[in-house]
Amino acid sequence: MRANVWSGRNQVQVENVSDPKILNDRDAIVKISSTAICGSDLHLYDGYVPKMKRGDILGHEFMGEIVETGKRVSNLQVGDRVVVPFPIACGDCWACKHELYSVCENTNPNSGLAEKFFGHATAGIFGYSHLTGGYAGGQAEYARVPFADVGPIKVEDDLTDEQVLFLSDIFPTGYFGADLCDIRGGEVIAVFGAGAVGQFAIASAVMMGAERVIAIDQYDYRLQMALNKARATDIIDFAKDPDIVEQLKELTGGRGPDAVIDAVGMEAAHGHGAIHAIDRAKQATRSESDRPHALRDAILACRPGGIVSVIGVYGGLMDKFPSGAFMNKGLQLRAGQCHVQKYLKPLYDHIKNGDIDPSFVVTHRLELGMAPDGFETFKHKQDECVKVVLKP
Amino acid sequence: MPFPPRPIDSTLHGVTDYCAGGTLLTIFPRLASIEGTESARQIRTAGAIHGGYSAITDYPLGIVKLIPFKAHLALDAVGALALAVTPFASGQWKKGAKHWVPHVALCLFELSALLMTDPTGAGDFHGDIEAVRAANMEDPHRKIYDGAPAVRPAVAV
Repeated sequence: MRANVWSGRNQVQVENVSDPKILNDRDAIVKISSTAICGSDLHLYDGYVPKMKRGDILGHEFMGEIVETGKRVSNLQVGDRVVVPFPIACGDCWACKHELYSVCENTNPNSGLAEKFFGHATAGIFGYSHLTGGYAGGQAEYARVPFADVGPIKVEDDLTDEQVLFLSDIFPTGYFGADLCDIRGGEVIAVFGAGAVGQFAIASAVMMGAERVIAIDQYDYRLQMALNKARATDIIDFAKDPDIVEQLKELTGGRGPDAVIDAVGMEAAHGHGAIHAIDRAKQATRSESDRPHALRDAILACRPGGIVSVIGVYGGLMDKFPSGAFMNKGLQLRAGQCHVQKYLKPLYDHIKNGDIDPSFVVTHRLELGMAPDGFETFKHKQDECVKVVLKP
Repeated sequence: MPFPPRPIDSTLHGVTDYCAGGTLLTIFPRLASIEGTESARQIRTAGAIHGGYSAITDYPLGIVKLIPFKAHLALDAVGALALAVTPFASGQWKKGAKHWVPHVALCLFELSALLMTDPTGAGDFHGDIEAVRAANMEDPHRKIYDGAPAVRPAVAV
């Protein structure tokens, strides 16, 4: 089969590789109909996540048709159309029993390595380095889905791939980010990053009843998508004015937003001055894993007693954490890889009911063979790119 | 990770270029205790040349993007070796260690930086944007600017 494989820093290529096989009674094989490039794939592409090997198949957002199942997979049949969540969860451990699927205790065989680098292991994740288990990803024609009796959700309605594909990651992740903010109606929420996850965080905050949602980015076309499609009420373009904290305070009567969502993570671009130069140099020489400008600004901007919700990916250690502001404001810091399985059914119902059409983020739909150009276009924000879907 | 690891992309390489060029031009001769000697003049010249071709390199920190990044790296290698050879070619090495050690040390620093630099110029776009536009089954501009909002407010309260 054809698959998009990692070939080195800033290099991916579509190659012919062996077809996946059932290895365990709880496996299924999916013939992939749609798959996507995620913003977090760029951390692999840029070389910031270790333990990638040449030939590793990328991709953790995918869906398709079941073509084979193991003996113990009784909930799925050959021919079922499914969306596969990115965390691989066993369903049996303490974490899974508490709906903390992204920290499943059984699905990451390399958890010891992950603990050394991340500080704590995640669950197994498709196509996301050997630190998360070394599972082959879904930017391919077929994929093996371990624990298929736990993860995939069946799509039984007449919805397009682009409407349901993002249940695999970015829609639940954005929703999770908003959910962590305890929105009850009437709040002001600021969202750092208007990439696809940020767009879903904005849309989710709107769905939950936030009164104002402020989108923050440096690309006008992304801010326009936030305004026009995700219903952000305000935008901050830090390419025009880099002092985000001051602008957030001006928009909120000097107090700051009730909650701030960091949908940026380890490769933030908006730092400036000496601090940015130091972070940039330290990250490049691997003496600091993260460039945490968004998180620092989120803490500095959030109102006293507010919540900082972190859904952007961080990888290890960061410098210059504003602990004084964090402590003296009495902030709550909430974070995590999304426990996708927990959100699949309610979000599927929202899509089915017409409350949201997640396909609004798709700006590029390409054949799988175009994956290398898709990665470059996405990474460099060319051609008004927000989200790339690949068709095997 | 690729081996050998190449953590220096074109942006960071540019930072190193300007920092090194500036240091060689200004305080390096004094720090190396060679101020006023032929060695100081040679090292200042090397710093000026380095800063000069950095400014005309096609990388994110280049001012006028005239020469490709790979050509810049080749100039780095040639320049570093030339600097190391200079005190021996001119015979000034006979005056003592401080008249050749700085040249050789700077050469080794430059070659080390080169070995750790990603020659693909990671900061630069190297896709085929026309091919992407031709193959794209979506219209990005229309998706962003046209049509109704994609979400209903306050449905998940």
